[in-house]
Amino acid sequence: MMRSVLTKTLYDKRLFILGWTLGLMAIAMLMTSFFPAMRPEGGIDALLANLPAAFQGLIGDLAALDEFDTYIASQLFDIRVPLIGGIMAIILALGLSTREEEDGELRTLLSLPISRTKLFIEKWLAMVLIMGISVVGLIAGVYLIMPFIDDAAIAGEAMLQLALMTWLVMISYSSVTYAAGMASGRRAVASAVGITVIIGSFLLSTFAVAVEWLSDYEFLSLLQYFPAVDIVYDGVMLRDVVVLSLVTLIALVAAWLVFRRRDIA
Amino acid sequence: MTVIRIQEVTKQFGDVAAVSDASFEVMKGEVIGFVGANGAGKSTTINMLLGFIAPSHGTVRVFGETVTPHVAHRQHARMGFAAGDMELPGNLTSKQYLQFLTHQYGGDTAKRLAELTERFQPVLHKKIATLSRGNKQKIALIAAFLPSPELVILDEPTSGLDPIMQEKFLELIRGEAAAGTTIFMSSHYLGEVADVCSRVILMRDGRIVSDTPAAELLRASGKHVRVISGYGRTAAPKGAEAIAKSKTEDGGYVVEFDWRGEPAQLQQWLAAVKQLRDIEVTEFNLEAAFRGMYDEESAA
Repeated sequence: MMRSVLTKTLYDKRLFILGWTLGLMAIAMLMTSFFPAMRPEGGIDALLANLPAAFQGLIGDLAALDEFDTYIASQLFDIRVPLIGGIMAIILALGLSTREEEDGELRTLLSLPISRTKLFIEKWLAMVLIMGISVVGLIAGVYLIMPFIDDAAIAGEAMLQLALMTWLVMISYSSVTYAAGMASGRRAVASAVGITVIIGSFLLSTFAVAVEWLSDYEFLSLLQYFPAVDIVYDGVMLRDVVVLSLVTLIALVAAWLVFRRRDIA
Repeated sequence: MTVIRIQEVTKQFGDVAAVSDASFEVMKGEVIGFVGANGAGKSTTINMLLGFIAPSHGTVRVFGETVTPHVAHRQHARMGFAAGDMELPGNLTSKQYLQFLTHQYGGDTAKRLAELTERFQPVLHKKIATLSRGNKQKIALIAAFLPSPELVILDEPTSGLDPIMQEKFLELIRGEAAAGTTIFMSSHYLGEVADVCSRVILMRDGRIVSDTPAAELLRASGKHVRVISGYGRTAAPKGAEAIAKSKTEDGGYVVEFDWRGEPAQLQQWLAAVKQLRDIEVTEFNLEAAFRGMYDEESAA
């Protein structure tokens, strides 16, 4: 039953949720199934050791390939999920912010007794829930294949922490794009901000390993605050949670202040 | 009781003033026709009434409260809105959308929905995206009247409706007006404005150029008179315009003319027509009146 903007948005996005959840699940299943081939005894280490340093940033820490938990953290959560999740975040945030305004559907919603604040928050909550469902699909993909893979084991706590941090990174990504969209009402602006932050973070974190001067700016990358392999070893660092939460909060508050007063096209 | 009060409102988009120094009031129970050519500033004014956009200068008040984008939802609880180009959620069926609306307004709308559904016969079980423009428009109109609002704002509400539905819509407006609902309606169809509106506000180039009771506007615009008599020398009265004479198949003599003079003088003339067989007096429609006013404004 559609009683609110939140439930209406979830209903509107049901196919998106299904598609992305299944897609992330499939990627997790594939990456899990690759574990035997990627272990050092599979011979991949010799191949990877000969790659230029610039490429090793794209491959991840070779030492992490020994064990399943660090392998999955490195190969799935550290490299693939931030990029794929980032693309998902941009598409979803654009769909929820600028698309409805461009279509004129936002005016229809705002002609009802729905405050701009309520609309802003409920759409964002829907986005957060959609990200959460996708992350559950991702984790389910790993667990579905694990029983069929030799030596594949990961502590439940480590997996939970990886899942929650993945969710938090995706919330930050999508919130920045959503905030730009709601504040400006323009797809071009929101896309530019989203791509700069998300793809920029990915490239910065990936190439900072090999490009020395980039390492000075790595703190600007949101991925700097999602060290997946370290999370398996040491757990989640409070600093990372605070930074990602603050980025989300600041973007949302700034956008809300603009959105509640600006003209709607 | 004043329902809408617009005071010295200007809306600038960059260097362009879409609305300039507009002022008017709408009292409870009035049915206002808001007319003007494309680009006159009607939709911009309506957007300000709904709080979609904020005025650059001046104030817009609805139900006594200043409308601003962040508090407009308070007024919307007592208002309905429909536009000819309204974009409804295409992913939902009409029924789902109307249920969604019911939750937003609260209260029991079942009886009202049944009444409106009976009147407009909408397609309820298909996705809105798959409906024709006319069928979407029916849903938009039902949505506007569903919460039994005190004020209904309509922006080109009948575009896309077939003539039968247009008539049903006008019947609804008459009924709502009789029940005391205030209606503010922009339209290009001057016939429907003349039919249901009590007052007509004309906009031109962002300015309010006329705010006149509809009846007065019609009186000012004159009458077309057609008289058939058995007397061939019947002459049109002094002051008549656009005089034309012809004969009917059964030998009647027809005198036609436009009359802008005093009704009493016309009545006197009619009483004096010899061998009078038939009289037909029709009011000029608003189109002629507005065309005249637009021309006058342009010349000025």
